[in-house]
Amino acid sequence: MNEENGNGGGPAAAERRDTVIETRGLARDFKDLRAIDGLDLTVRRGELFGLIGPDGAGKTTTLRLLAGLLKITDGSATVAGRDLTREPEAVKPHIGYMAQRFSLYAELTVMENLRFFSELYDVLPRERGERTDRLLSFAGLTPFKSRRAEHLSGGMKKKLALACTLIHQPPILLLDEPTTGVDPVSRREFWDILTELYTGGTTILVTTPYMDEADRCTQVGLIYQGQLIRCAAPEAIRAGIGEELIELQTDQWRKAQVVAEDLPGVSQVMTYGDSLHLLVDAAEERLPDIETRLEEEGIPYRSLRATRPRMEEAFISLVRDRERERLR
Amino acid sequence: MSLRHLKAVVLKEIRHVLRDRWTFILVLVTPISLLFIMAYALTVDIEDVPIAVMDHDQSAVSRNFIQQLSAGEELDVVARANSLEEVERLLVDGTIKVGVIIQPAFGEYLVGQRGLRLQVIIDGTEPESGTFGMEQVAQRTEAFVVRSLPTGSAEWLRPIELKTRALYNPGLEPRVDLVPGLISMVLGLPALSVALALSREREHGTLEQVLVTPISRADLLVGKMIPYIAIGMINVVAIPIMAMAAFGIPFRGSFGLFFLVSIVFLFAMLSMGTLIGVFMRTQPAALALSFLVIFFPGFFMTGIFYPIAAMPDELQMEAMLLPGTHYAIITRSIFLRAVGLEILWPNVLALAGLGVVFTAVAAFFFKKRLG
Repeated sequence: MNEENGNGGGPAAAERRDTVIETRGLARDFKDLRAIDGLDLTVRRGELFGLIGPDGAGKTTTLRLLAGLLKITDGSATVAGRDLTREPEAVKPHIGYMAQRFSLYAELTVMENLRFFSELYDVLPRERGERTDRLLSFAGLTPFKSRRAEHLSGGMKKKLALACTLIHQPPILLLDEPTTGVDPVSRREFWDILTELYTGGTTILVTTPYMDEADRCTQVGLIYQGQLIRCAAPEAIRAGIGEELIELQTDQWRKAQVVAEDLPGVSQVMTYGDSLHLLVDAAEERLPDIETRLEEEGIPYRSLRATRPRMEEAFISLVRDRERERLR
Repeated sequence: MSLRHLKAVVLKEIRHVLRDRWTFILVLVTPISLLFIMAYALTVDIEDVPIAVMDHDQSAVSRNFIQQLSAGEELDVVARANSLEEVERLLVDGTIKVGVIIQPAFGEYLVGQRGLRLQVIIDGTEPESGTFGMEQVAQRTEAFVVRSLPTGSAEWLRPIELKTRALYNPGLEPRVDLVPGLISMVLGLPALSVALALSREREHGTLEQVLVTPISRADLLVGKMIPYIAIGMINVVAIPIMAMAAFGIPFRGSFGLFFLVSIVFLFAMLSMGTLIGVFMRTQPAALALSFLVIFFPGFFMTGIFYPIAAMPDELQMEAMLLPGTHYAIITRSIFLRAVGLEILWPNVLALAGLGVVFTAVAAFFFKKRLG
């Protein structure tokens, strides 16, 4: 939904293109394990950048490196024009970082948490009141401002954490899976807030395991085994996977799945509600074969058609390509 | 250093202590209760040691002697035995701790001034009550002998009489000496709290959110220490009052001096706790290390129970690195001997020095990073 206001042309867009986060050959070891392995990442001003990747790919480590929370083993990283290897502390006033885990003080109230971080970020006392009020209403937390953080719902906790990261109005936001474990309504609300921040000019780097969220970003980076293997607008990622998608709607999907998996040209079969998604090398070419095969097996179907791959299929396809490449 | 950051951390930590029930109990309730428990448990008042008497003499003198033994609180004649086997059986089943065997012709020997014929058997598995019982029997016997002899002959028995006077603790009450020493143990508890508080922040992930702010390392560490020093000061006032009220410990020195020196001690202890908290990533680890480097040495190496002079030289050196050693000297001196800074300054200086060194090391190793 953000494609139209993201990477368009015009002078405004050109202005937004200055790089605010840049890593070159970034590496981080944990003992013998190389968690980040030569990561080249570029985030431009005003982007809503979604970092996606399977669990353990290095999303959290990347964000922690960029927040100055981990020492860089090798390579370089620049955030807000400051070199993280040389002056990690200088970066801190310019970023808002939200950890994946809830990491505010449970026994402090909503207001006390906000106040605490406003002081650590040196928000001027005369601005504090107005700013906390605005953030509270922004996050929908005004009625709960005297409630202890430990008594908030999961979604409210996330919003409070976001409010605390926003207290110093940072131009760059680093959000680590901010919507994981949150109900769909709160998730939607959270993304509405992010979209509003994005519209206001804040650069946002967000990690997410949800592919529909990746679709809401202006730029998506796919991270796999500590490397950035694809980085483009969501549209381009979906279009550029080199595979096409066939959607098959049938009541006998179990049987159809077994049949489809053995067909030539089909690389992956995924269930999707009451339909099956088949990743194929060329949809139009393979459609007649599939049709014939289904009729031979006596599997009735409601529809069989080529469709656009979604982010999820693109993700799976890219990861699988990568795995195949590694095995070779 | 930023006063605003420092204040924010202090306020946050105080709120935590007041709202988290277990932290509250640990920092405010435990020290005083621990002092009570240790003071009672570690000084034994032995009373009513059960004894058995076997009287082979059966004379007026021996009956008199037995009466003398059972007078007072200390000994309790619970059985009359008829044979050595019976005495042994009573010792084995724990009925008695001491057996007194009066030999035949006890009275005649006494009157004839030919020495005493008395045998005492004690239970060696409980030396505390056994030796105490034996001392009591010896004392009573001596008193009995002196009384029984014709006037004038008592001096012949004891040509030199030693009159000892114990200064500062005339009754040589173990508790008078122990309680001021124990204060250094229980005031060490806030050190445990600060170690736990730091590792808890790592465990709960709250540290992560603080580390991405521009706060300096010193502000964060010092801000965490200050509340526990403040809370410790409540105990600094409460504990001497309890010691005086509950155990009759005299407080002869200057309270103002005690108060000020106690703050220095708290600072030294808390910097030790902070150092532990900086290195230990989980609360159980912080707890274990605190016991290992704060409480066990605090118990055995600071001279509270065992005099430092009796330790091997290397251990004496190590004892000087423990804040508790200096503080135990200070508390005993102020409580019992009314000594002032003119004598105690080296210990106070040592406390301050240890605090500064521990804090500096903690700040050096505390990085604003996670891994």
